[in-house]
Amino acid sequence: MRRETDDVELIRGFKDGDVSSFEQLVLKYQDKVYNLCRHMLGSAHDADDAAQDTFTKAYQNLNNFRPEASFYTWLYRIAVNTCLDYKKRPFFQSIFGSHVEGDNESGIEPVSGEPSPEKLYESKQLRYALGTSLGKLSLKLRAVIILKEVEGLSYEQIAGVLDVSIGTVKSRISRAREELKELMKEFREQK
Amino acid sequence: MKCSKARRLISPYIDSELSSGDRNKLEDHMKVCETCRNMVKETQALHQVFVNTEKFEAPYGFRARVMANVKTAKLGWFPRIPIPIRLAEGAVILLLIAIGIITGSFLVKGFLPQRMGNELASLHLEVFDSAPPGTLGSAYLAMTGERNEK
Repeated sequence: MRRETDDVELIRGFKDGDVSSFEQLVLKYQDKVYNLCRHMLGSAHDADDAAQDTFTKAYQNLNNFRPEASFYTWLYRIAVNTCLDYKKRPFFQSIFGSHVEGDNESGIEPVSGEPSPEKLYESKQLRYALGTSLGKLSLKLRAVIILKEVEGLSYEQIAGVLDVSIGTVKSRISRAREELKELMKEFREQK
Repeated sequence: MKCSKARRLISPYIDSELSSGDRNKLEDHMKVCETCRNMVKETQALHQVFVNTEKFEAPYGFRARVMANVKTAKLGWFPRIPIPIRLAEGAVILLLIAIGIITGSFLVKGFLPQRMGNELASLHLEVFDSAPPGTLGSAYLAMTGERNEK
């Protein structure tokens, strides 16, 4: 609630001509938007472009934003739609295994205590399998499962972001999970 | 509860989006159905893989680049104008178009008779000289004339 109150004040400031209010909104949401784009698109470069585009569109349309709506739901909607527009670009190889781009791969959270090399390897394989499998999902299913599992939104919030009913969200999440389980099984069998 | 219904409830169950009634029914069903119990375990395992995924942070200098981009980006100026003023603008534009059409029609009426006569005369075939005898043109006209008479 506090977050939304802050957002309303910042948006009001922006509408009154204070550009620094928008800068504060960027600072507040840049990691969330980038994380969403990165999981949707896989490539760090595309995610950066899409996240930049998202904020540019938000800046251009913030005057149309109604304060009674939730700002982050509105912003996520722009981000998801921007990512969907990027679908024609060459798709990523793996969103978690970032061998190609040489990103930091040390983001695995240990289950308990110091992880053994075997556990680290297994965890890395799982993330790689998940990334590859996510890339094979349709964009609709990918968006819904990322909003749920990565961004931690509720069904109601996801319905707001995607502008669909809660029933649709529920069935898409179930389908996405079933397809992911199958794809990950196939991935393991191939290895 | 049938397995088909139980499977539809597994995802909302994992996401804590089930009503307490449905949750109890599903848990009762899982006690007696090993297949559905295993499906719940698989879904929980998948959920756990997501929990362990990396959280990506915006790259260094992201905010500065956004602010540089938005400085060159145009604001949507039209939506900033209040709706009544937008409607009034539309009405004025329509009025100007209507005035243009009406005055235009008066002007055309004033000039049309004398200009029309000149244009019709210029289009009439009689203004052309007849083709000189012995030329390809006169032969063509003779042929078409004969055909028309028939």
